[in-house]
Amino acid sequence: MAQARLILEELKKCHVTHVLSVPDNMSRALLSALWADGEIEVILVTREGEAFAVAAGLWVGGKTPVVLIQNTGFLETGDAVRGTGTRMRVPLLCLITYRGYAKWAASGLEATPETLNAELLSNMAYDSTAILVEPTLRAWGIPYDFLHDDTDVPKISAAFRKAQELEQPVALLMTKDTT
Amino acid sequence: MLTKHQFLATLARWRNDAVVITTMGTVVPWARFSQTPLDFASCDSAMGHAADFALGIALAQPQRKVICLNGDGSMLMTLGTLVTIVQTGAKNLILCVIENSTYEVTGNQPIPGAGVVDFTGMAKAAGFPRTYTIDDVATCERLLPAILSGEGPVFVTVKVAPDEDAPPSRRPDAQAPYLRISLAESVRQLRRALGSDQ
Repeated sequence: MAQARLILEELKKCHVTHVLSVPDNMSRALLSALWADGEIEVILVTREGEAFAVAAGLWVGGKTPVVLIQNTGFLETGDAVRGTGTRMRVPLLCLITYRGYAKWAASGLEATPETLNAELLSNMAYDSTAILVEPTLRAWGIPYDFLHDDTDVPKISAAFRKAQELEQPVALLMTKDTT
Repeated sequence: MLTKHQFLATLARWRNDAVVITTMGTVVPWARFSQTPLDFASCDSAMGHAADFALGIALAQPQRKVICLNGDGSMLMTLGTLVTIVQTGAKNLILCVIENSTYEVTGNQPIPGAGVVDFTGMAKAAGFPRTYTIDDVATCERLLPAILSGEGPVFVTVKVAPDEDAPPSRRPDAQAPYLRISLAESVRQLRRALGSDQ
């Protein structure tokens, strides 16, 4: 697990000004820490795709936004990510909580064009959102890394820099609850 | 009935140094009335995401007015943005929905709820402190100066007759100058105009 206060401090190091989010249980502690601290403005949106469009506008206006959403909501964002993130070349760090990661990772299975089918995606042993998120990121051309625990927190700055260098969205998958 | 061109011509006279975000049926005609670095076409972007994109700019640049010329079909795609705009309290945002009740650029197919949906009513219900409906030239001339001054967020339904503009597209020989560059280059240009790349 990663401590919210460490993530918050890392976001501050990147001079993040806004976090666009739809809350979920895994990000609850981080959102609480952001609100308690008050330095970074949190904007809750009504749907995850909206987060990318508002973030793009904020960046055009000179701010430094980050998107914080769950993987299931990320799957909703396709056209917004394409049209307001990648197509606009917006350097944008996306923190995506990885619902269902533990069971899926423990399964030893891989989501490939050969294995991805309704049989797998309807198997109640696994969260289909977990199965789909990495293939979706790859399909949408979004580089990603993992944030498992405190030792991975510096990856936030690394992913942030990568987004700046590539001028595009870059994702960091948060596999456990923030605490 | 008001035409899209009559509204845009009047708006061009009053917009001053506001950022103007166009999308769908207003992209090409707006360029006949205004060609400044503060004009931005949400074209080759994502349908339904002009209003939330404009919201982001408004929040980042609170000293500058931001006008979004959204389509009615586009607005229906992201009605939640009405709530987000109010929640964030973007006082400098003016969201106009150009209501022709059709998907104009794809051949004027009727939008869901055509003639029944009350966009101004939905904006009021979302909590917009100032809402207007414009449906003729006289009202447009009379209200626009007031709409563009004072605090927002402001919501305006602009009821216009259906037109026949084709789908806008970016290409080097586009009639509208702001469509001759890529979306990414348009974004860079707007950032420069706003001083965001300092």
